[in-house]
This record gives sequence, structure tokens and C-alpha cells, in this order.
Amino acid sequence: MFFHYVDLAWRSFKRTPVVSVLMVLAIAIGIGITMTSLSVYHMMSMDPIPHKSSKLYAVQLDTMDDGEEWWTEDNLPTQITYKDAMFLNDVDLPYRKIASTRTGFTVHMNSSEVKPFLESARVTGNEFFAMFDLEFLYGNAWSKEQYQSAAPVVVLSESINEKLFGGEDSVGKQVYLNDEVFQVVGVIKEWDIHTKYYDLNNGSFNSPEDLFIPLSLIKAKELTTWGNTNGWKYQEINSFQDRLNSELLWVQFWVELNNEQEKQAFSEYLTNYLAEQGTLGRFEREKTEFSLRNVNEWMEYNNVVSEDNRLLVGLSFLFLTVCLVNILALLLAKFLRRAPEVGVRRALGASKSHVFAQHLVEVSMLGFFGGVVGIGIAQLGLWGVRSTYSYFSALATMDLSMLFAAPMIAIVSCLIAGAIPAWLVCKTQPAIYLKTQ
Amino acid sequence: MLSMKNISKVYQTEKVRTHALRDFDLQVNEGEFIAVTGPSGSGKTTFLNIAGMLEPYTSGEYMLDDVNVGTLSDNQRADLRNQKIGFIFQGFNLIPDLNLYENVEVPLRYRGIKTAERKRRIEECLEKVGLGSRAKHLPQQLSGGQQQRVAIARALAGQPRFLLADEPTGNLDSLMARQVMELLEEINRDGATIVMVTHDPELARRAPRNIQVVDGQLADFTLYQSREKEIITPSIKPIDLSNNPVEA
Amino acid sequence: MLEIKPIFNALRRSKVSTFLLLIEIAITLAIVSVSAFVIVDRINYLQQETGYPEESLLHFSVLTFGDVDRMQQIELDEEMLRNIPGVENAVFMQDVPLSGSGSASSFDSHPDPDMENNKGIRAAYTAGDENMIDTLGVNLIAGRDFRADEVKFGLSSENRPTVVVASKAFVDEMFPEGDGLGKTVYFGRSPIKIIGIVEQMKGPWLQDSRSDNVVIFPYVETRSFDHYVVRTKPEERTAIKRQIEELMLANYDKRVINPARGFDEAKAEYNAGDILMTRMLMVIIVVLVLITIVGIFGLTLFNINKRTKQIGTRRALGARKSDIIKYFLVENAMVCIAGLGAGALGAVYLGTLLLEEYSLPALDNSFILYTALFVLAISLLSVLIPANRAANISPSIATRSI
Repeated sequence: MFFHYVDLAWRSFKRTPVVSVLMVLAIAIGIGITMTSLSVYHMMSMDPIPHKSSKLYAVQLDTMDDGEEWWTEDNLPTQITYKDAMFLNDVDLPYRKIASTRTGFTVHMNSSEVKPFLESARVTGNEFFAMFDLEFLYGNAWSKEQYQSAAPVVVLSESINEKLFGGEDSVGKQVYLNDEVFQVVGVIKEWDIHTKYYDLNNGSFNSPEDLFIPLSLIKAKELTTWGNTNGWKYQEINSFQDRLNSELLWVQFWVELNNEQEKQAFSEYLTNYLAEQGTLGRFEREKTEFSLRNVNEWMEYNNVVSEDNRLLVGLSFLFLTVCLVNILALLLAKFLRRAPEVGVRRALGASKSHVFAQHLVEVSMLGFFGGVVGIGIAQLGLWGVRSTYSYFSALATMDLSMLFAAPMIAIVSCLIAGAIPAWLVCKTQPAIYLKTQ
Repeated sequence: MLSMKNISKVYQTEKVRTHALRDFDLQVNEGEFIAVTGPSGSGKTTFLNIAGMLEPYTSGEYMLDDVNVGTLSDNQRADLRNQKIGFIFQGFNLIPDLNLYENVEVPLRYRGIKTAERKRRIEECLEKVGLGSRAKHLPQQLSGGQQQRVAIARALAGQPRFLLADEPTGNLDSLMARQVMELLEEINRDGATIVMVTHDPELARRAPRNIQVVDGQLADFTLYQSREKEIITPSIKPIDLSNNPVEA
Repeated sequence: MLEIKPIFNALRRSKVSTFLLLIEIAITLAIVSVSAFVIVDRINYLQQETGYPEESLLHFSVLTFGDVDRMQQIELDEEMLRNIPGVENAVFMQDVPLSGSGSASSFDSHPDPDMENNKGIRAAYTAGDENMIDTLGVNLIAGRDFRADEVKFGLSSENRPTVVVASKAFVDEMFPEGDGLGKTVYFGRSPIKIIGIVEQMKGPWLQDSRSDNVVIFPYVETRSFDHYVVRTKPEERTAIKRQIEELMLANYDKRVINPARGFDEAKAEYNAGDILMTRMLMVIIVVLVLITIVGIFGLTLFNINKRTKQIGTRRALGARKSDIIKYFLVENAMVCIAGLGAGALGAVYLGTLLLEEYSLPALDNSFILYTALFVLAISLLSVLIPANRAANISPSIATRSI
């Protein structure tokens, strides 16, 4: 029966081509606009590391005096101080925990072949790669010994390895960072994330860094951060060491906790640590405060999805409603005109549910066409977004789930809109249409 | 096979109550051919619609093959209609988008009959009404008489035991009317029970049993016989093509 | 004159299509008025005065890896840049306005910020030499520019600037009496004197709530990046922009020169999200209005088709064409006004929602009013064509039999 209904729907479509095309266009435009904003929203809010996002926690410590305010909802700073970061990174606890921050270098090969260029780098611990699921194409992370001796070693991304070494195994080779020789110890596969969730400070959707170097180099090479540095009180800073000892906040900290017990234990550890730091006179606080947020909570907390985008999604769904109201009106006109035919069918033994189903199949077909054309319009819209805002390039695309969602949303919304006319037409008394010739 | 007792039908609008049928009683037996006559607005069509379960009735009892129609759900009524009843309308009521074959197919589809069996029956029925060669034509390519024959084929396709015809010849010229009537008689001889609404006294007379509806009530047949000339004024029913809702 | 009541009764009989029209108009009003409000808000933001001759200014940054005396190199670079034909002035500076990257700090009215009556005002700050005010092309409205002898080279606890030039917004916020010139403020407990006031200059972040608060120090100090700002003759900026990398590398090559950007370009990049939002909302409004027009058009046509006979009868009974048109206009206006009423409530609700949930200002109700008038106008216009068609229905339709 279903295919028969599809056949009937197609005949009906062809009988009133103008109205049918208008309806498909109305759905398509509604879906196109909705999918444009929804796709960007989807990409922005997508879980970047689904199988692990609930185990990775961003650590926030309140190392400010009581009464100091921050712009976050709970008044906690989003980064921590260098000294806290280094201590927590190095202390022996049974979980993966990583301090990291962003810096950058001029990169050259001491030859005229590669023109020197700027590249940002992540300064971090060697477990960073395991924590964030980065796979090595060649080599490995640096060793513990290399970390401890602050060896000038570097892990490259696939793309920079391509640029510098033509994509070959570069482990053991040399590269110049700010004119200093670094030895390549590993190359990681391309890190394919839309949201730079591990460091949301300088644009949530910038690409990840392409160079990774040991955390111990901050002190050894006096590396300055290319990220944000926040302070909450005035401190005299005249040397790099002053900076490292200061209360300035510029390091990100992540911990991987596999279960509630570990989370509990780490929380207790932080409580004690902060209490102890308080007694050292670093800050004046009544009680210690810290926070552990998993990846999705962290993205939410940092408003990764912009207000504008939320607003656009809301408005475009309202827009879709207007399109549906129009479709509803057109369907009403179309279906009620067909009431005599329905009367005949009813007389010939069609039940109300037969009639209802027939019309729902028809609106679903319109929805499907609308959805497919809508994908085209959405692609146009997304192209417009990309060309207006190159920063959204990676976000303004439709992934498979959105391509699938477009006709689904179209069909479901058409079914909602079409149910009323379908119901009206199947509810009419067949008798009155049979005699009035 | 069909029994109506005290059937009433009241149309209720905001201000007016209209009695279309009033304490209507009728017994139809298997194999009968009944002509129903009566003046315009007397309730003939209402009777036919109730008999075909196209309209609910307000009160009374309607038994079809010992099933109390009043107790059935809409879906059950649709199934019953599909299996037992065939309709023939004055305006043919063919579905304009479907060709002859597909028009005849409609009731069979709702009965869930398999494709091969459907094909056999459709061809047989179209053959029977003499249109076997025109299965692929659309209704508007046919004359009125041919269209009505298709409608009859459609009514027959489900092998109903009960045919309801509402002015089946009303839109046809006399020659075609006679052909259609002959077809109906043949169907009746094959065993189907037929109830035909008409106001053509000549046609009515060809039916073995005549009943008359006046003011929503069954009038006495003998009374009808004697008063025939006073009540029936031969008239040509105007055919309005401009306001055909199917084609509109 | 037409009576309202029969029209109202007719509407009651076609509840569904009336309701649809009403809903459509209501939602259209809500979306269009809120979107228009956001658009106007953004356009005002995007077009705000920054205080700089944006089309004449270029900014680029340099990261040096070679072993060179950078303080000296800065002097050489500045001199080279100033000598490019078409360049008005050039300066090395700490952080660059409108670039989205910079520094901000609280400036205090007292040496000890913990004092009860201390007033701390946040301002973005940057630094450069005595060419800075001139290069930036800002308007010094009070006091004076830096003297060369006030500029400190290389900061230390003994070598600190003691004077600043500040934006009027900052000075007025710090000293609301308007007598800030010559007063002292404290930056990390060291006193600095305000010697000049600039009429207007924006800081690095336009979205900052205090984007107008800017303080300029007279010092030159190298950090990782060296920023240069060049003011050119506007018509020669593009040509100069193209030469910069080459000229800088010719001056000294062990460094990387980031591509130069105009101030206006940097601003557009910083605001790209807002430009995008404005464009998307504009698209939504335009398409929505078109769809609504088509929708009203279609619904009226549907109503007219249903009533062809009735209209023919009216015409046969002596109704003039203008009566028929008037009938549909009044009918549409009635539904439209009801829809606009509902839509206005919706828009007000949406406005309060946006105010609570988002950092948007309160919806200005005049937007709803103007949009409502606009929607009413397009609604009536889109009824005109089908109504005209109805008026042309021949009275003979009525005499044809049913």
C-alpha cells in the first residue's frame, strides 16, 4: 500500500505542478535557512572527543583573594598559575594530568629552501598525546629524561612535517625554532577537531598548534606565552623568574579521571593542596575553591556556542514555522479540493486511516523533496557563511548527520503541518461529495 | 439481508433541524432488485447513503447480514462496505487522475488483494462492461455511458453482494440509459442484490420491486401505484458541469 | 460602507485559514522586529567612530630570531619606514588598537589600591615614542604630546615613564569633574601624570565594555613581537602594504614579518562574526517577507476561489468592483491587525527573553510598531492582486446553475 500511496502522491504532485513546486520551495527555503544555522550550531557544540569527554576534566583553582571577581559565572579564573601548574603536573599521583600553554616560534631549516615562518606551539607534558588521543605517525613523545633535562626536542604535526620534510619520517632530524636547534622526536597524525577545547582562550575554533615541546622548556628557554595572561593583583615583575613565581594566570590544566573514586580522591587532593597554599600566604581565602569540569561542561561554561548562533537557530526555527504555515495553507486548499475523490474512495471501502495515510505519504514526499532541495540551499548559505567569516570555515559545513537530519526535519515538520489538512479531509463526510454533481 | 427499523436521520444546524428520514422501515432480501423513487429532497439519497454506511443515522436499527451497523467502528464499516457493497453514482465519480484499470483497482487495493488476482478481476470486469480494450484510457477520454460502465465495473470488481445505485442513468441519454439498465439486470441475474434510486418511472417499472420515499418515510407501494401520475412529473434534471467538484 | 460583522462571520466560518493567516502575520512580526532591532544594534556597533583614520593606517608585526640589538633595529626600521614615499609617519608600539590583542589594567586614584576610597578604572594601555600620537592620527584636544626626552628605552624599576596621554573617556571616568588634565593616577603604585587628552581612540577590543578607555605611555620595550604602525597617504596604502615585507627583510633578514593589515581590515576581521550575523538576519528578513507576501497572496486566492460564486452573486446584486476589493482589504486588515496584536506580544516576550538570556539591549518597542505598520502595508498590498481578480469575477457566474 505504501508504494501505491507514493505513486498517488507523485501523480498528485504532477497534477498541480505550480502549487507543488511552491510548497517544495517553501519547505526548502525554511529547511535551508534552518540547516545553515543548525549546521554551524551542530559543529560548534559537537563533542570533540566523544568516548572520553566525560573523563577529561579542566582544572580551575581559585588562587585569588576573597572578593576578587572574575568574568566567569562562578568567579573562578579559567587558567592557573605557572607554579601551581608545574607542581600539579610533576606531583606523583595515579592519574594522567597535563599542564600546557601556547607559545610560538619562528621556524626555519637554516637553508634558503624554506622561508622562515611563524608557528604557534604547545608547551606541555609528554602524556598530552595519550590524554587527547593523538596518534603518532612516526616516533614518539619525548621521554621523561628529555623532559627533566629540558632537552630541545619537538613533536611535529603531520602538516608541518609535510611542509618541512616533505612528509617523510623526520624523527632525529633538526629544525630551528627561534634560531635554536630542536630535534624531532615524533610526528603526529592530523588532529581533526573543530573546537580547540583544550585551550579555549584565543578563539574556540582556531586550529590546534602544529608544534609540541616539553613543558620544562618554559623555564629553560624563557618562553613567553602566545595565549592570554590574566592578573588580579599588582605584582612587581622585573625578570622572567618573577613572572614564573607570580600569581599571573596563563597555564591550562587537564586531568584524566576514570571514575567517581578517582574524581573524589583528586578533589580531596586539590582541597588539601589549596588549603596548604593558603597557609603559605599566597592568597586570603576563607575556604578553598576549585572546579573540575569535563569536556562538554567546559565548552558550555566557556560559551563555545556563541549567543548569536543560538539566536539564529531560534529565529530560523521560527522562520521554518512560517514556511510550514504557508505549506499548511496550500495543502489545505489542495486537499479540500480533492474531497470529492476522497468521498469516492471512502465509498469504495477506504477507511479514514487509509485516507489519512495516503495524505501523510503525500506530505512526506513533499517534505523529502523540500529537504533535498533544502540541503542545496543550506550549502549555499554555508558557503555564504564561510566567505563572510573565514574563521568559521571548518564549522560552516554539513556533516553526515546533518545531511541526514535535513530531510528528516523537513519530513517531520511537513507531517506536523500536513496532519491538520489530512485530518480535515479524512474526517469530512464522504456522502456530501458523491451527489453534488 | 438488509433490514432497517425506525431509522431516522436529523440534520442539525445552529438554528434548523431537518428530518431527512423519519422512522424508516425497510427489509431487502437476497437477490432483489429494488427501485427507489420519490420527489427531490424526499430522502432517497440519504437512505442510500445510510444503507451504504457513508453517513451515520440518528436513531433506529440497521442490520446488514445480521451485523448491527450501529455498533461498528469507522474502520469496520469501511471494511464491510469494501467487501459487501458496490456503489454506482449518477456522476460516475471516477477518479480523474487514474486510468480505467486503476479506477477499477481502487476497491481491490483497499481489500488487500494480491496484484495477480487484482489483474484477473479487473480485466474480467472491464471485459464484462465491454471496455476491456480501453484499460489504459483516462476517464475524460470516454463518453458518459462508457464512464458509467467503468463505474459499474469498479462496483463489480469487489464482487459485492449488494449494489447501491444512485440515479445511475441520470446523466445519460436514453440509449445509454437502457444499456446500463440491461447491465444492471444482468448483474442482478448473476445473484447481486440491487437497490437503485431513480426518478425515471420507466426504469423504475423495469425493477421487480418498487418503493417510494416521501418526506423521509417509506410510502405505501400500492398508494404509489395509484397516485403515480400526480406525484411524478417527468422532468429533465439539469446537469451542471461548471461546478463539478472533482474536476474543479 | 462595509459592515464589519458579516466579514467577521465569514471569517468564523473559515477558521483554519483565518487562523493560519493570523499565525503567519504574528510570527513574521515577531521575527522581523527582533531581527531588525539586532541588525540596527550591530550596524551601530560596526559603524562606531574609532578615532583613527582607519583607511590610512597599516599595522604589521615582526618576530626576530636573529641575534641583533632589537632596540637599535627598531630605530633603523622606523627610519626606513618613514622614508618610504607616501608614508606620513611610522612608529614602533606595544599593542595595536583594533587588533583584538593587547593589554589592559586598572589605573588607581590612590597609590594604595586597597584604600577605602580608591577608585580603580580599567583601561587598555599601550606605549610608543613621541611619534605615536601623530602616527595614529588621533585628535589631541587638551594638553600636549610627548617630548622626546620623556620616552624611556627599556623598562626597569629605575627607568619608568612618569607621564601619559589618555583618552577623554578614561580621563572623564577617572575625574568626572572634567579637570583630569595634569592630574596624577597610579599604575601599579607608581604615579603618572596625565599630560594630554585625546578626543577619542578605541582600545584593542571593540567589544570590551570600556573600549574607549585607552592610556598611552612613552616607552619603547621589546617583547616577543614587535608591532609597527604606519600612517600613509590613503591612496598609497595598498602599494605600500605590498612592499613592507620585502623592505623590512632587506633591512634585516633574520626575522619573520607578519603580513601588514589596514586598521579597517583588522577591524572587519575582528567584527567578522557581527558582520555575518547582520547579513544572516538580513537574509532571514528579506526571505521571510517574501514568503509572507506569497503566503498571504495564496491564502487570499484560496478564499476567493472558495467564494467565487458568492462574489458573482454579490456582483449580480449590484456590488461594485471597488466594494469587492474593499471587502477583501477589510477582511485582510481585520485578520492582520489581530495577528499583529498577537505578534507584538510575541515580540515583546522574545525581547525580554533576549534581554535575560543574551547580552542584547532591551528591545526598543518602536521597532515593533514600525515593523507592524510595514507588515500591515505589505499584507494589504499582497491582497490587492487577488482581490482585483475577485472583483473581475463575472456576475454571470451567479446565474449559472449549481
